[in-house]
Amino acid sequence: MSAILHAQALGKRYGRRQALAECTLEIPPGHVVGLVGPNGAGKTTLLKIACGMLAPTSGRIEVLGEQPAADPTQLARIGYVAQDTPTYPNLSVADHLKLGAKLNPRWDAELAQARIEQLELDPKQKAGKLSGGQRAQLALTVAVAKRPELLILDEPVASLDPLARRSFLRHLMESVAENGTSVILSSHLVSDLERVCDYLVVLVSSRLQLAGETDDLLAQHYRIVCTRRKESDLPSDLEVIWAEHTDRQSTFVVRGDAEPPTGDWVADHLELEDLVLTYMERAADSGRRAKTLKTEDAR
Amino acid sequence: MIWLTWRQFRAQAVAAVVILAAATAYFVATGLGMHHSYATDLASCTAQNDCDTLLSQLRYKYDAMFNLAELLVVAAPALIGIFWGAPLIGRELETGTHQVAWNQSVTRTRWLAIKLAGVGLASMATAGVLSYLLTWWAGPLDQIDGSRFAAMTFSTRDIVPLAYAAFAFALGTIAGLLLRRTIPAMAVTLAVFIGIQVLVPTMIRPNLLPSTTVTYTLDESSLSQANGIFGQGGSSGDFYMSGLGVSQGAWVLSSTPVENSSDQPIPLNAIQSCLPAIGPNGKGGRGGTDFAQVGSCLAHDNLHESVTYQPSSHYWPIQWFESGLFLVLTALLSGACFWWIRRRQN
Repeated sequence: MSAILHAQALGKRYGRRQALAECTLEIPPGHVVGLVGPNGAGKTTLLKIACGMLAPTSGRIEVLGEQPAADPTQLARIGYVAQDTPTYPNLSVADHLKLGAKLNPRWDAELAQARIEQLELDPKQKAGKLSGGQRAQLALTVAVAKRPELLILDEPVASLDPLARRSFLRHLMESVAENGTSVILSSHLVSDLERVCDYLVVLVSSRLQLAGETDDLLAQHYRIVCTRRKESDLPSDLEVIWAEHTDRQSTFVVRGDAEPPTGDWVADHLELEDLVLTYMERAADSGRRAKTLKTEDAR
Repeated sequence: MIWLTWRQFRAQAVAAVVILAAATAYFVATGLGMHHSYATDLASCTAQNDCDTLLSQLRYKYDAMFNLAELLVVAAPALIGIFWGAPLIGRELETGTHQVAWNQSVTRTRWLAIKLAGVGLASMATAGVLSYLLTWWAGPLDQIDGSRFAAMTFSTRDIVPLAYAAFAFALGTIAGLLLRRTIPAMAVTLAVFIGIQVLVPTMIRPNLLPSTTVTYTLDESSLSQANGIFGQGGSSGDFYMSGLGVSQGAWVLSSTPVENSSDQPIPLNAIQSCLPAIGPNGKGGRGGTDFAQVGSCLAHDNLHESVTYQPSSHYWPIQWFESGLFLVLTALLSGACFWWIRRRQN
């Protein structure tokens, strides 16, 4: 099986704004991938490139071993639910299922029907009259019943209330488990993804910060709290991701293949949310530093 | 894909069918009566050898209806561009539903091809039915008018309305594609289409085929066909004679002022002595003026006037050329839609 997504120095530029830069990434098959990053980090751009809605301005990308949206076969292999889960407002729920049936060779009518019944959607209802949560569920149904090998969901739960959010993710996980589909879903909230993802990609200010299996990432990262000291005083096989100093104390977030040796410090694992936030802060910080340097250069 | 195109177009199609049915009923109901009275009027007046008065009355009776019917056929392509073309892709981009359509197992080239072909053909069919109805209905009135080149007449008869409809539809489509908003796309479509509909009859249509220019020496035989004198700037200004030698149904594009043997325009008062029946304001008309007599009076002055026109035999070639022109523009705009949708991607 080929990688879900294989990107090589992928970039997208809108005029002068770089939406995605130097993104090199290989996601092995069979994962539920969470794509996290603050708003405007380039998540949507990456997902749109992956499903062929956008063409990259630099670099290469293969999804399931093929160019995105190259031909009808490739289109059939990928299901995509765009941000804000668009549906045709004047078409009824039943029309959307018919649309899926007419336009997709592998359409699973039984699955679609069962999901609509389970969700208690009225087939005659116009999609424009559905609630946000129902619309998201309808869009997911159309994408899932297409029987794709990979589902790409762009902030599918962003506009949903907590209850609808939970029910949407539960339905998603059910159909993923049944069909063995790979999934990439994005969110700016780690808590949305924590329960469902086993692979994490962190994107901040158009650059890739971190990618890997969630369990590995959690195992590799530690928070070390110790008396105040310099980064260079730590064991050299630990990569310092983040350092914070008070008058007496230093806190480091480090990455290492093995557990840090015992020393005059306390080493602990991080929660996934803390881990992601650390990388986001670091990226925001280095961005700020780069800007300051530029201003100083200019002087 | 055909199903989806039909499903999205269904409401507009029903509206179009209702309008066409109403128009057909109206044209047939009034047209049969008009055709009948034209035939009887023509028979009776030919017998009496004076058709002008009787047929003018008939023409006058139907004038309001005639103008209304032409307006309908003129407006149809613009309405098609606005209500079928502009939302075709514009609304999808506006509401984000193109992201649904483009992620089914159908390439967006195919998606666009079926939408363009399906609704485009419906546009041409609609305009075709309206044009056919009007061409049939107004047949007798056009006979009375005698010229099929009048701007409104030419644009609303025979085959050009089909090409206008195809063009307006493609124009609306690309406006929606580029602007990504339905309402602005509608406005732009209307503005551009009106601009082109003004430009073409005045600048393009006269030059689609080489026109004929004939220079007439003003004498008894040439002026026997004249039907008026038109002065510019009073009795000391230029003037020209209308109706010279050009056969009926021709499209007079321009005529020079009356000039003397050294090609200088002469003022109207220079020929005053030959114009007994015409007042000092220089306006002339058919009533009371014997132009043949004026001609024989002017014969020895060696005056001439040139008339440029499209003969009536050019009617169908110009219809075809103009239709072809609009269809080429339609093809270019459609091609641009394909290029844009494949290259720009969202």
